[in-house]
Amino acid sequence: MVMMPKRIRFRKQQRGRLRGNATRGNYVSFGEFGLQALEHHWLSARQIDAGRIAAQHYLRRQGKVFIRVFPDKPISKKPLEQRMGKGKAETAFWAARIKPGTVLFEIAGVPEDIARAAMARIAHKMPIRCRFVGRRIAV
Amino acid sequence: MSHETPTLEAHLRDRLGSRYAKRVRATGRIPAVIYGHGQDPVSVSLDAKEALHFLHQGIHVFQVATPSGQETCLVKDLQFGHLGDNVIHIDLARVDLDEEVEVLVHLQFAGAPAAAAKSGVVLTHVLNEISVRCKVRDIPESIRVDLTKMPGDALHVGELPLPAGCVAATAKEALVAHLEFVSETAEGEAAEAPAATATPEVLTARKEKEGEGA
Repeated sequence: MVMMPKRIRFRKQQRGRLRGNATRGNYVSFGEFGLQALEHHWLSARQIDAGRIAAQHYLRRQGKVFIRVFPDKPISKKPLEQRMGKGKAETAFWAARIKPGTVLFEIAGVPEDIARAAMARIAHKMPIRCRFVGRRIAV
Repeated sequence: MSHETPTLEAHLRDRLGSRYAKRVRATGRIPAVIYGHGQDPVSVSLDAKEALHFLHQGIHVFQVATPSGQETCLVKDLQFGHLGDNVIHIDLARVDLDEEVEVLVHLQFAGAPAAAAKSGVVLTHVLNEISVRCKVRDIPESIRVDLTKMPGDALHVGELPLPAGCVAATAKEALVAHLEFVSETAEGEAAEAPAATATPEVLTARKEKEGEGA
């Protein structure tokens, strides 16, 4: 199911800008391996869902997939052949704001080679460059 | 410690600040600071390859050779770079080998329970490291957890085999690993059903109406 918030304060948002690197959500927390974004992007709910389905089809009920991002930004788009003006259009889709370093997906309960292959399948569904990461050193 | 304390050669850093730290990193060294025991902090740099090699092995205690002498140091904190995984700075605290400290120790899982081989059952490691209180000389590199002998569906911190002299500082009831049952409906095709034309509830919508009525 495509993700979207249950409750929101305002129906529409300004576009904003994506600048800088991720300072939170930038390391593997829940699983053993992760897929880390290397570029800025608005990742749509459909793209996130496509990644999840690709991983679950590959893993075939072994391992667990964690989605670390949530599409909470409404993106509006005017219909085709609509004249300009007449106010801001309705929400077309929901997107997650991704900065370089954000961990998009995590996988637990499978060996590294299987996790790598599953992450490669997710990465093909992503509109940005990603890399495979493991847990970082704990002290 | 189940190993010989490795020695790291430290160079003093006379020029401090991010610009000079960046230059130190460019030469293949990691900036570090040694503090504690009521003495003045000393800014040093360590060989990056050597230090990271030991850190990846789970070693927490080093003999740091500085121009003023050798000091026993515990890795207190690591600072990571912009993508969250490259170590850019190390905090080292002066310690005595008989001092009691609290450190995070990596859990090394081995094997899987027989029930985990069934389809739809996933073995999830909830904790990958636990906090352990022990003397500096007793700090283990890692704790080996044999999951083939896992009692029931879950393993808790209280059931872990800890090395002699170590006490778990993490709550004993905390879950280390457990068997999770993946439901059929969570699978791809079942979840692919198109979402209804649901829209989120707008919390300010009613207020707008009241404002218009007033």
